[in-house]
Amino acid sequence: MLRAGIIGFGRMGITHFSIFNTHPSVKITAVCEPSAAMRTMLNKYLDINVFSDYQEMIAEAMLDFVVISTPTDSHSEIIKCATDNDLHVFSEKPFALTAAEGKKILKHLKNKNLVNQVGYVNRFNEVFMEVKRLLDEGAIGEVKNFHSEMYGATVLKDSKSSWRAKRKTGGGCMYEFASHCIDLVIYLLGKPDKVMGSIMQRIYSSDAEDLVSSSFVYANGCSGRIMVNWSDETFRKPTNIVTIFGTKGKIVADKHTYKIYLKEPNHNNRFHKGWNTRYITDFAKSVRFYVRGNEFTRQLDYFVDCIEKGHMNNISSFAEAYKTDAVMEEIANDANRLSS
Amino acid sequence: METNAYIDPIIFGDNQFFGINHMSENKAQALAEKFRDLKAITDVIDTAYDCGINAFMLNTHDRAMDICDHFRKDPGRYPDLCLYPSMPYAHKYANAVAEKGIFGALKDSIFSDSSTKDIFGLLTKGGSLIFSKDMMKVMQMLIDIEMKIFRDLNVRVMFLQNIVTDLLLGFGVKEVFVEFATYITDKYHVEPGFITMNMPKLVDFLLDCGIENPIVCSAINRVGYFMNPNIQDYENTLTEKRFRPIAMSILASGAVNPEDAVEYVCHKLNIRSIVFGASSRQHILETRQLVEKYL
Repeated sequence: MLRAGIIGFGRMGITHFSIFNTHPSVKITAVCEPSAAMRTMLNKYLDINVFSDYQEMIAEAMLDFVVISTPTDSHSEIIKCATDNDLHVFSEKPFALTAAEGKKILKHLKNKNLVNQVGYVNRFNEVFMEVKRLLDEGAIGEVKNFHSEMYGATVLKDSKSSWRAKRKTGGGCMYEFASHCIDLVIYLLGKPDKVMGSIMQRIYSSDAEDLVSSSFVYANGCSGRIMVNWSDETFRKPTNIVTIFGTKGKIVADKHTYKIYLKEPNHNNRFHKGWNTRYITDFAKSVRFYVRGNEFTRQLDYFVDCIEKGHMNNISSFAEAYKTDAVMEEIANDANRLSS
Repeated sequence: METNAYIDPIIFGDNQFFGINHMSENKAQALAEKFRDLKAITDVIDTAYDCGINAFMLNTHDRAMDICDHFRKDPGRYPDLCLYPSMPYAHKYANAVAEKGIFGALKDSIFSDSSTKDIFGLLTKGGSLIFSKDMMKVMQMLIDIEMKIFRDLNVRVMFLQNIVTDLLLGFGVKEVFVEFATYITDKYHVEPGFITMNMPKLVDFLLDCGIENPIVCSAINRVGYFMNPNIQDYENTLTEKRFRPIAMSILASGAVNPEDAVEYVCHKLNIRSIVFGASSRQHILETRQLVEKYL
């Protein structure tokens, strides 16, 4: 049985608790949360040790792994403390606030046999997993161009009270939203060699951007564009859409459906020449326990699996998430340069 | 705690009105556009009612209030109407939670309801104290706020919506489920129900809580879509456990044809109650005929 501690009991912490609490090889023994009201409630209803200080929790609770679901600006120091104590770490996204911090953590992790994962759930969505498989197979030939878009109705007015509305605490559309969109590009097509024409635009927020767009350029001749807007009320839920154009065809995908256009039939995948539509019902697989979406359970079960089997080559590792941090920083620098 | 009220064999679903489609975001958008006007919604509801469907599921969405107003305006038009609402409408809270945290969102929700303001003002003198000291009281207040939407209407079952049910199921805190069921039954004389994506686990848990013969609404379809952990566990639970199942997502967002869907759910699995959504008279009549054929 793996002993787990959760640090930060907000929206994601609660979701992770619910999923891990039903895992047959996990026992959540500790939760750390700054809110006194929440701690009182946890003590009253759950049989766990409740802490207000994560260092104390890590020192006392005899854990195997921690889940970090705190504001982004605290990730680095908590990760450092956890890995110093030889704990496996699952951290919410994004990884760290700056690329330099991320690099330091990666260096620190070297030679430590610890499973590390960042909560980029798109990597565990069945449609995007399928698109990845098709791209790796070369189903649409050499990829030449793409669009990766993400929209949502998360911020429709200026909210000064939340950490999510302030860039310096890791809020804003870039860290909170665009990170998913950029990670999806990196997952499917790799890290761009250069970003250009970047824009970080305010719509409602006064301390952070609400829209991010940028062009990605690759040394192999591929290029693409990301467009992220979290102030678009025409989307009921956060929505990712990727369009990928290759020499042999094209793929358009969201979390529920993908369409693939092929110049020639692909018998192995049962695709006709021309358009082929596949719905998530065609290949969705159930999970042992569902909260908010299959991908949330799949990513945590995968994390536990990696610990149990000693797999260090994690699909959404810190090293992968560092690439997204680096790209976000490049976009911000590019946007600042352009605006000044 | 056991009651055995009648549950309608056909419950008309409402996802289509709110632009919800589990398979395609384009379809969802098209639906939202089609049902932009309340009249487009009430026309379909009236058609369903005139086809002999009296039972309607309603999520506690902004449009649900308008639909309820429509029913209240002309009670003589809907003498046999009965509602199967669910609460809370989680998306309404999700953004508030992201912005203000869990306690902030709860407080806002309660404060925005003027009738609870005074009593709540007294209770919150210690800041968030009330939330931690008596979560059950907070839940009761939230139930009261959501139940107001359905005042003067015949509510047969009040469901706990699936995101909340499943999140709490993961926590495994029995008091919350027992208190929800007791409060709904005692105060409103309405049967409690639970919507879930984890039916076998939930049924076991509710029976463990002492909630006997519970009403559990879940996706049930022959392709296993939204059925966790697997279709076999669903079939076993249906045969072995004593509860009142209601099947939704029987078409698996279009992956199963209607005849096969109804045959599987009503004939093979012997389920006596299904939720389905439709937008045309033709479609409503066809589904009704199918249910009558296999039920």
